[in-house]
Amino acid sequence: MKFTFPHGIHVKDNKDITKSIPLRNLDAPEKVYICLSQHIGKPADCLVKPGDKVKCGTLIGAASGAFSANIYSSVSGEVEAIADRVNAQGIMCKHVVIKNDFSNEEVLLPSLDLDKVTADDIIERIKTAGIVGMGGAGFPTHIKLKPQDKVDTLIINGAECEPYITCDYRLMLEKSKEVIAGAVWLKKALGVEKVYIGIEDNKMSAVEALKNVAHSDIEVIAVKEKYPQGAERQLIYSVTKRKVPAGALPAKAGVVVENIHTAYSVYEAMELNKPLYSRALTVSGRAIDKPGNFFVPTGVTYDFLLSRCSSEGDIKVAKVISGGPMMGFAQASLDAAICKNSSAVLFLTKEETDFNKPSACINCARCARACPMRLMPMFIDSCVISGDLQGAKKYGLNNCIECGSCAYVCPAKRSIVQSVRQGKRLDRASGGK
Amino acid sequence: MAYTVSQSPHFKNSATTQRIMLDVIIALIPALIASVLIFGFFPLVVAIVSIASAVFSEWFYNFITKKPQTTSDLSAVVTGLLLALNLPPVVPLYIPVIGSIFAIMVVKMLFGGLGKNFANPAITARIFVMLAWTAAMTTWIKPIDLSDGANLFSYFGMSNYDGLTSATPLAIIKSEGSVASINLLDLFLGTTGGSAGEVSALALLIGGVYLIVRRVIDYKIPLIYILTVGFLTSLIELDIAYFLPSILSGGLMLGAIFMATDYSTSPNGFWGVIVYALGLGILTVLIRKFSNMPEGVSFAILIMNIVTPLIDKYIYPRPFGAVRKKLNFKKNKEVKAE
Repeated sequence: MKFTFPHGIHVKDNKDITKSIPLRNLDAPEKVYICLSQHIGKPADCLVKPGDKVKCGTLIGAASGAFSANIYSSVSGEVEAIADRVNAQGIMCKHVVIKNDFSNEEVLLPSLDLDKVTADDIIERIKTAGIVGMGGAGFPTHIKLKPQDKVDTLIINGAECEPYITCDYRLMLEKSKEVIAGAVWLKKALGVEKVYIGIEDNKMSAVEALKNVAHSDIEVIAVKEKYPQGAERQLIYSVTKRKVPAGALPAKAGVVVENIHTAYSVYEAMELNKPLYSRALTVSGRAIDKPGNFFVPTGVTYDFLLSRCSSEGDIKVAKVISGGPMMGFAQASLDAAICKNSSAVLFLTKEETDFNKPSACINCARCARACPMRLMPMFIDSCVISGDLQGAKKYGLNNCIECGSCAYVCPAKRSIVQSVRQGKRLDRASGGK
Repeated sequence: MAYTVSQSPHFKNSATTQRIMLDVIIALIPALIASVLIFGFFPLVVAIVSIASAVFSEWFYNFITKKPQTTSDLSAVVTGLLLALNLPPVVPLYIPVIGSIFAIMVVKMLFGGLGKNFANPAITARIFVMLAWTAAMTTWIKPIDLSDGANLFSYFGMSNYDGLTSATPLAIIKSEGSVASINLLDLFLGTTGGSAGEVSALALLIGGVYLIVRRVIDYKIPLIYILTVGFLTSLIELDIAYFLPSILSGGLMLGAIFMATDYSTSPNGFWGVIVYALGLGILTVLIRKFSNMPEGVSFAILIMNIVTPLIDKYIYPRPFGAVRKKLNFKKNKEVKAE
């Protein structure tokens, strides 16, 4: 059996830059800017005011309702201000500014009796620790663990199909036992029989490392290296050959997917009693001379990362990207701060990134052959541009996962994903009619 | 320093429109060489004149309408070359000139330029000049045969050899009502009467394989088109001997590989492509058999080009994971279905 999905593209992965660099701790800067909206859903309610003393692991933002997540301080020190700043997605939101006193005092969550915990205890702990999907979306994990539908399979997503990013790979290699332990806790919380870990077959050493420590009820699967293998629907199909119904959540197909790093954070919350305030992160790109994989506290600015990873500043930097080059967000400045769901910060040179101007669509249908959702991107693009939302929806506007495969292969260099996002926005604004 | 901000993806592959058009030109070179070897140097002159007038037309159109120049994408070169290969080996030179101007100005630029044309410019121009100058467009010279009185000067049109005319294989089949006098090797190599670029199936197949390997064209269109013509002709004639002559003769190879696969005038979905290719095959056979013309490829392609927007409107793929409309009655029962 081949573990793959229909369509998709082959991308030059550029993981060589940081693949062999071990994870190391990055010291915290003088000031951190902790965003109160590091997840999908309502921003957390701010619990501190300027002048308050905090420690590493002090709760500074409380989940606002069910669809939200707790936020913890990542350094010890004094709250300086509650400021409005632009986050990596370009949205203005509240940040807690904390001045670091470098004493590194920690507060931990109360410890659990690990032999006696029930599924609900685990979910409650995950909720308390503020764990969200760490692959990029930032979906609160405790909500995923209480699915509306009957679920029988858990898939841990270690595909890491985006070029450049290697932090999950290093995590699997260096923290294999911890990742597996986290997967076991997630399995217990969901009450499922079967756990798969899907890893792209360009990371065979990670596959081997996890196989060596995995129990018999966790199956490590090498899925084919193809973009977007790490997209939820595609990974579910590759591993289980189930199709998630269009427009529904994966739970409809009886599957829950969690990121590798989420599993690691669950381990930290359960066994080390550490809430989520730091994460593994790849800083890469050919515009910097000291790239690497780091454990960083949340709230570190991109500016600080650049100063630590480049000896000549931003002379060669043409584009700064939060996340991977296929789905990440280009930054206008270096003010944004690391959140729970930031997997990489890339500093790219002019040669590495695309600066071609779009030309006329020649209808070659390469985008349709690349689309993993089997849509007609060229028609969606032209329909959105001409203002025909109904037409765009007919060709699958709202099924688009914005993976960027279409724009990657487009010989006319059209910004298809931009059209899709515009179309979706207009559709939401008109109430989906 | 200012950083560039744009929507994702920030990473693209190296494919360009220009490179695709260059691939098509490369794929047409064997057919051009074959036409020179078979008919002498005049087809080359026709090709140069045709390409030059096509490129000039596009440049001139953009110039007078004050639009950005698009000639560097090489698509006008492809159109000019295709038209030249669709003309008889020896034609008055005003035919490629007017044909190219018609193809570029009327069929392509007036409808919005590259990617917006409703039909393949070269095939439409061929039909146009065919109807305008039928006599010149149906005068086929004999292939140069060194063992049959021709000499090296024949290649330059400097002997009286090129005065001899010949009939195309399809016309022979039609008038004789049988394939008995057809030499299959001649058909395959192209030493028969016919348009400059259509005669050599071998040269066209080399180009076709190149395009498929380079993933420029979808192999389904030529394959289904050619096979449909072969099988349907055999079926109508109730004789399998018609299979090879029908697919090797006329403009079928040239049309199927290079013109039916024109991006903007062929459907984009899997089933749409199949409907389109089958339609091409059926129309070609019907025109060849039941009209008073021996050849039907041009009209079949023109008709299916015009049908393409309808195909794209009604036949498009179901998104990954979307349920078939019929299954909707069962609702959520079949989660794992399909």
